[in-house]
Amino acid sequence: MGQGLGFQQLRKILLEQDWEERKELAQKLEQLDGELNTREKLEERVNPILEDQQARIQRDFPVLFGPQITESIKKQIKESQDEVVEVLYPIIGRMIKKYVANEIQMLSDKIDAQMELAMSWEGWKIRIKAWFSGSSQKELMLSQTIEPKIDEIHVIEKNSGLLLGSYTKKPDLDSDMVAGMLTAIKSFVEEAFQTDAQELESIDYQNHKIIIKSFHSFFIAVVCTGTINASFKDKIDNELLNFSQKVLKKAKVAGADGVDEELITEGLEEYFQNFEDLNE
Amino acid sequence: MNKKIILLGHYGVGKSSLVRRFVHSQFSEEYITTIGVKIDKKTIQVGDTSLTLLIWDIAGENGQQKIPQSYRLGAHGAIYVFDLSRPATYANLEKEILALQELIPGIPIQILANKLDLSSEKQIAEVMEAIRPYQAKATSAKTGEHVDDAFELLARKILE
Repeated sequence: MGQGLGFQQLRKILLEQDWEERKELAQKLEQLDGELNTREKLEERVNPILEDQQARIQRDFPVLFGPQITESIKKQIKESQDEVVEVLYPIIGRMIKKYVANEIQMLSDKIDAQMELAMSWEGWKIRIKAWFSGSSQKELMLSQTIEPKIDEIHVIEKNSGLLLGSYTKKPDLDSDMVAGMLTAIKSFVEEAFQTDAQELESIDYQNHKIIIKSFHSFFIAVVCTGTINASFKDKIDNELLNFSQKVLKKAKVAGADGVDEELITEGLEEYFQNFEDLNE
Repeated sequence: MNKKIILLGHYGVGKSSLVRRFVHSQFSEEYITTIGVKIDKKTIQVGDTSLTLLIWDIAGENGQQKIPQSYRLGAHGAIYVFDLSRPATYANLEKEILALQELIPGIPIQILANKLDLSSEKQIAEVMEAIRPYQAKATSAKTGEHVDDAFELLARKILE
C-alpha cells in the first residue's frame, strides 16, 4: 500500500511537466484549429498576404503575363479570323466611312474656294487656258486643287546604289538606306523582267510617286505627292537634265575620287528652289 | 566615305546573323530567311578614316547563280560566308570566288567560316585544310567572336 502511494507520487513528480506541456499543446492546437476553420479568423491572417500579392501582380502584370496574353490573342485571332473580321468590320467600316467623308468634305471645300475664284482674274485665266488646251475647266481646277509637290530628291550611283547627294524635307530620313533600297528595287525589276534596254521609270504608292530619271552612271529619284500630270513630269525632266548638265558634270570633274558629293548636295539645295517653282 | 559591301554564301550559313551581330550587337536563334536583299549601314573608324559601310545582305541560294547579278555590281568589297558544319556550303568555294572576281575584278574578298561555336578545333582545322589555298576567318555570329575583326579587316583591304 505504502509502496503504491510512493509510486503514484513518483509518477506525478516525473510526468507533471509532460502533462502541462501536453495541455498547452492541446490548447494551441485548438486555437489553431479555430483559426483555420473559422473564416473570419483565417481572413484576418491571410488577407494582408493576398493583398500584397494582388498589388504585386497588378504592378508587374505586363511583365508577368504580357507574353502569354499576346500569344493567346495572336492564337485566338489566327484560329477565329472570321469572328474577328465580323467584330472588327463594323468598326473599321465606320472609320473608313468617316475618313472618306472627311476627305470628300475637304475636297468639296477646296472646290468651293476655286469656284469662288471663278469670276476673278485667276478664274478667267483658267477659262482661257482650258479653251486653248482643250481640257475642261473642271479638270484644270481639280489639278490645281491637288497640285503636285516634290518631297525628296536623291542622286544615286547606278551600280553600287551609293548616295551621291540628296535633298529632303524629312530630316530624320536615312537617305543612304533609301538610296540602297531604291537601287535594289530598280535592279530587281529590270533583271527579273529581263528588260535590257528598258528601265524602271516610276514607283507608285498611294499618294506618293517616285519618278526615276536614269543617266549613264547614276539615276535621280524624285519623290512627289499630288496629281502628277504629263506637263509636271516634263518640267521635272527638263530641270533634272539642266541639273545633270550643270551640277553633276562639275561634281565629277571636281571629285578626285569619284564625284564631289558636297557639290551635288549644294546644287540640289539650290535647284530644289527651282523644283518648288514647278508647282506654281 | 561610303563603301558598298556585299555578303554572299549559301542559305542558312549565318549571313544575316553576322550583319545583325556587327551592326546591332544582337543575335537571335530564330531563323528568318532573307528575301531578295536587306541593306544595313554602319560607320566604323579605320585609322584616320571614318568609313560608312552599306552592307547588302543578299539572299542565299544553293548556288550563287540565281541571285540577280546587279546586286553585286559596284561593290567595293565582299564577304563570302560558309558554315563550318555543312561541307556543301564550301564545296564550290573556288568556283564562286572566281565568278565574283570575274564580275568585279580586283574586289577584296573576306571569306568567313561561320558557326565557330558549333565546331571543335579538329573540325575547324580539317575545314581550313579542305578549302586551301583559300584562307578563311572563323567567326561566330552567336558569340560575336571575330565578327567585328572580320568586317574591319575587309574595310582595311578596301582602303588599301
